Amino acid sequence: MSLSTAQRRLLQEYRNLTNDPPDGITAGPVSEDDMFHWEALIEGPEGTPFEGGIFPAELKFPKDYPLAPPKMTFLGEIFHPNVYTNGVVCISILHPPGDDPNHYEEASERWSPIQSVEKILISVMSMLAEPNDESPANVEAAKMWRERRPEYEQKVRDGVRRMLGL
Amino acid sequence: MADEQVSLASLLLIVVLGGLIIRYLFFPGAGAAAGQTRGPRDAQSAARAREAAVERIQQMFPQVDRRTILWDLQHTGGNIMATTDRILAGRLATPPVTFQPPPPPPSPASSAAAAQSAAAASKAPSKPAEPDLITRYNLQSKINSSSSSSGIDEAAVGAKGKAWSSNRDERQAALQRRRDDMILAARRKMEAKLAAEKGSSS
Repeated sequence: MSLSTAQRRLLQEYRNLTNDPPDGITAGPVSEDDMFHWEALIEGPEGTPFEGGIFPAELKFPKDYPLAPPKMTFLGEIFHPNVYTNGVVCISILHPPGDDPNHYEEASERWSPIQSVEKILISVMSMLAEPNDESPANVEAAKMWRERRPEYEQKVRDGVRRMLGL
Repeated sequence: MADEQVSLASLLLIVVLGGLIIRYLFFPGAGAAAGQTRGPRDAQSAARAREAAVERIQQMFPQVDRRTILWDLQHTGGNIMATTDRILAGRLATPPVTFQPPPPPPSPASSAAAAQSAAAASKAPSKPAEPDLITRYNLQSKINSSSSSSGIDEAAVGAKGKAWSSNRDERQAALQRRRDDMILAARRKMEAKLAAEKGSSS
């Protein structure tokens, strides 16, 4: 059984994430039959309304990974300015370097083969703590975050509790 | 040789022109006939285009309210670029009090799909009702048992569960266990927190 470059790289990343998992992150392929489809759990960062929550997300890797970035989608409900209502995550590290319609992202922040799943998940975690106001994916959330912060935080906290079945 | 090519080209031109003329002669009749029955649908698609334009502009300028955008779009004939330019130049006029914008579509998040909303309405209720993590990962049975029996298990799992196993199935099982533990731990913590909140408030 020969593995493609992408599969080898993903297996390597899976191994690193298993042996040395970053705090509050669990990630791996849904089944090793398909290395291009992962699922990750991200803990809500402390000191934010997401604290105490666990957020499942799906990562879909392209066949030419790591040349192209994966696509990340939250699977449960999450109310955040940079996450579309369908769960798709919008942050610079998931954008290929050539693709910057808004011209505000540094090339170094965007996807390149030296990035990794671990770095994506850590970036997403810090995105939860600090939304990027410049690229709202969920306009309603962005507006509420900016103008009615307490209401936004309450809504997020309610979502966190619901996700845990409480 | 060159002559032949020219005549071939002109022949093609005649065919194309002929086709266009035939199309021109026959299409208007068909278009008008269809247009009569399509009246309400045109209004709907116009509303959809308008909502899409408003949404696009609001994505760029969330600070501008919907009513102002609609008012300006009415002036620019629905031209997003023109309205964007006016916003950037700060030349946006405030709409008069008498201006009553059409109500926003039922689902503002997906106004581009306003037409599909009827079809989606039957589908939508099932989507927002995302299963919580306990349902999603089938953890009902472990909720109660884990808190009591975790003592011994965790020690055994902790040593084995973290390291990379060369066996694929073991790896899969270890990953699942870590996932379950993470969710159950978070739930236990949240439960305790809620209980504490309840206790302090009463």
